[in-house]
Amino acid sequence: MVRTTVNLSELPEGSTATIRDIDALSPTSQRLLDMGFVPGTPIRAVKRAPMGDPTTFEIRGYQVGLRRSESALIDVEIKPDDK
Amino acid sequence: MTNKIQRNVFLLGNPNSGKTSLFNAVTGERRRVGNWPGVTVQKLEGTAKTETANLTICDLPGTYSLTPATPEEEVVLKTIDEAVTGCIVNVVDIANFERNLFLTTQLIELGIRPVVSLNCFDSFTRAGGSIDLQKFSTFTGTTPFPTVARTGEGTQNLVEFIGKPELTCIDDSTSCLSLPQVWLDAAEEALNLKNLKWISATPAQRYGALVDLIKLQPEQVVPELIEIRQNLAKKLSEGRDNPVKTTNLACELASDRYRRIESLIASCAIVPGKNIPAWQEKLDRVLTHRFLGLPVFAMMMAWVFWTTFSVGEIPMGWMESLVEWLSDFVQVNMQEGLIRELLVGGIINGVGGVIIFIPNILILFFWIALLEDSGYMSRAAFIMDRMMNSIGLHGRAFIPMIMGLGCNVPAVLATRIIDNRFQRLLTMLLIPLVTCAARLPVLVLLCGTFFPENPSTWMFTLFFVNLLVLIFLGQTTSMLFRTTENSPFLLEMPPYRLPTPSSVFHMLYEKAAHFIEKAGTVILAGAIIIWVLSVFPREVPLSFDYESELTRLRSNEATVETTEKIAMLTRQREIEQMEGRYMARLGKFIHPVMEPLGFSWRETVSLIPGFLAKESVVSTLSVLYLPYSDNLGDAMRKTGMTPLTAFVFMMFTLLYIPCIATLGVIWRESGSMRFTVLSLLVYFAIAYIVSYVTLKVGAILQTSPNLAWFEGLVIITVALAAGWYLLRTFIVTISGSRCKSCSSCSSCPSRGKSDCSGG
Repeated sequence: MVRTTVNLSELPEGSTATIRDIDALSPTSQRLLDMGFVPGTPIRAVKRAPMGDPTTFEIRGYQVGLRRSESALIDVEIKPDDK
Repeated sequence: MTNKIQRNVFLLGNPNSGKTSLFNAVTGERRRVGNWPGVTVQKLEGTAKTETANLTICDLPGTYSLTPATPEEEVVLKTIDEAVTGCIVNVVDIANFERNLFLTTQLIELGIRPVVSLNCFDSFTRAGGSIDLQKFSTFTGTTPFPTVARTGEGTQNLVEFIGKPELTCIDDSTSCLSLPQVWLDAAEEALNLKNLKWISATPAQRYGALVDLIKLQPEQVVPELIEIRQNLAKKLSEGRDNPVKTTNLACELASDRYRRIESLIASCAIVPGKNIPAWQEKLDRVLTHRFLGLPVFAMMMAWVFWTTFSVGEIPMGWMESLVEWLSDFVQVNMQEGLIRELLVGGIINGVGGVIIFIPNILILFFWIALLEDSGYMSRAAFIMDRMMNSIGLHGRAFIPMIMGLGCNVPAVLATRIIDNRFQRLLTMLLIPLVTCAARLPVLVLLCGTFFPENPSTWMFTLFFVNLLVLIFLGQTTSMLFRTTENSPFLLEMPPYRLPTPSSVFHMLYEKAAHFIEKAGTVILAGAIIIWVLSVFPREVPLSFDYESELTRLRSNEATVETTEKIAMLTRQREIEQMEGRYMARLGKFIHPVMEPLGFSWRETVSLIPGFLAKESVVSTLSVLYLPYSDNLGDAMRKTGMTPLTAFVFMMFTLLYIPCIATLGVIWRESGSMRFTVLSLLVYFAIAYIVSYVTLKVGAILQTSPNLAWFEGLVIITVALAAGWYLLRTFIVTISGSRCKSCSSCSSCPSRGKSDCSGG
């Protein structure tokens, strides 16, 4: 099975992926981890804002909007059958 | 009813978990708003009584985790040791179970057993969820209470329980959310370095040890801990394909917590597969639609704006006539004297200046409460964020900024919808640069006086310059502080809910009372000070005995000549008296500072009452210029004021200071005198610089007659843009990182990770 790793900020609207990695060096990361953005968690890009940024993501049953500067800290894995 | 115990209860929970609703349901009206010591974060305290206890209930700032990202959240960590001596109620939004249990897990790890309020229980069960409370209690060691804080359901049981004398929050027995042994061992070692033991350490000390262990940035790690961290990583790596790196410890701990949470939920609850109902998704699709989202939002804003400021004018008219009636009443029924003057000129005027804002504030906050409680506010912030971010602001800042066009005072109050303190202060700093409706007549008057030929062109120019200044200030401030500010942008989208009348009422009551009590006093004091400056000293030494001359003239035959002479003398006396008052003396004293801008002392003096209300600038000027001509514009031209200095003066008047009411609310809302004084200096400096540049550029333009005003505008724009660019380069240079848009190099989308040398 082919798996592709992309940056969360590039995850297309409506598609689901699994969090693979999070940038450990950014001070923002601690908060993202605390909010449940840990490796292995499924995440869905719900909607991009009319002006292109931020984007709402659905994770662990709730929705949260992240700017590109935050979502860029996260790498996700897209499984082909998820698309 | 003797022997009642006193207990401090602390409400702790995620933002949007219904903490404040629970607070309202439990305390009712018995509350007071204060500040946390040392920080300017609002503290909400109330009381409740049960059969056995008197409870003092404190609403802690909402936080997702004990690791603070903002000053508000630091309060939670600082209070935790105090809180365990009383009682901690952990408000958990059960409709959002996993993430809310993260904070609970952190508490349990530290040996705290909070009383858990499983809030929003109704929507949880409606969506098909169920929970075995008995199992939950046994597994976690806590006491859960299903509640619906919005309606108050279930809160009575909770209050009864926390009033029980035998209740305690501290318990070190293991539960299924406790730390695994590997982590406990490492934390013990870290504590030993500080001569502490896990068993006897306070929750804050335990937490400190854990935080030290998982520090993200390698340079922040204490050298003695390096070995402990490496051992921990090694132990965690056992039986895994990829060894755990020490930089990943934070990630490991968070993952481990979520694994514990997941297994707890799996063992005692059935969580509905889909938390968000279909109709909400559909509504969201429309409200945040690519093309529909913005127009819908614009329409709502127009409605809010119109009702606040146009409909609000009706009750404002009543208040104005009330004030007028009151001062007339005093004028008629009191003896002439200083006290009457103080009552009318200082106090009644000042109080009128306070209550006049109440209709605006109430209407605006009625809509804000509805938008906030229904969950639409987050969507509005979501669609506006990109635009607001371009001037360094949060998406939520749009509503306060746009309200600033109506009046700055409710706009500053509206900044409370921004949770992040830095963002809130930045918005507060920028709001006074939004031209409010009260400044419009002043502008019309000034432009009409100085430029009777084409006032609208000049007004447009002034607006344009003002807008540029606003963008410039927003950009620079957010850039200057971006390096110190590391709280992430996280915009939670709460589910849509029907607002309850009680929460709307609480919001309105709190805002109006708070405004009158806190800001009202400042505004009143300011009004009285300005009044004192303008009427004292009572007796001004006059250069000429007007009184006897006037009596002599009056006793003469009333010819045209004598009447004219009387009028002239009265006028001259008035001017001389005005010049002798403290206000004029102060104006003359600071005049040398204003001289480079081309202002005469008269203009400088007129700026002082402008502090109270900008329209006084014009009225003071017309009194001061009376000896030259009845027409202010003519008089000013006669004394050598050129159109250029007139324009500069208008610009200065527009920018130099927000009115005292705005300053009062800024002071009270920011809770910081320092911030208020600093922002005052910033406005003044900006007004001065912009005016000075305009004066110089204008002088150059005047010598080359081919250039028209709009070309001057272009030059100013270019100068500002160049200034901004230079400043930015400067900041980037000194802060040592090349790219400002991302928090670290590995997150930068445009650069390869290899060529990153900076932060």
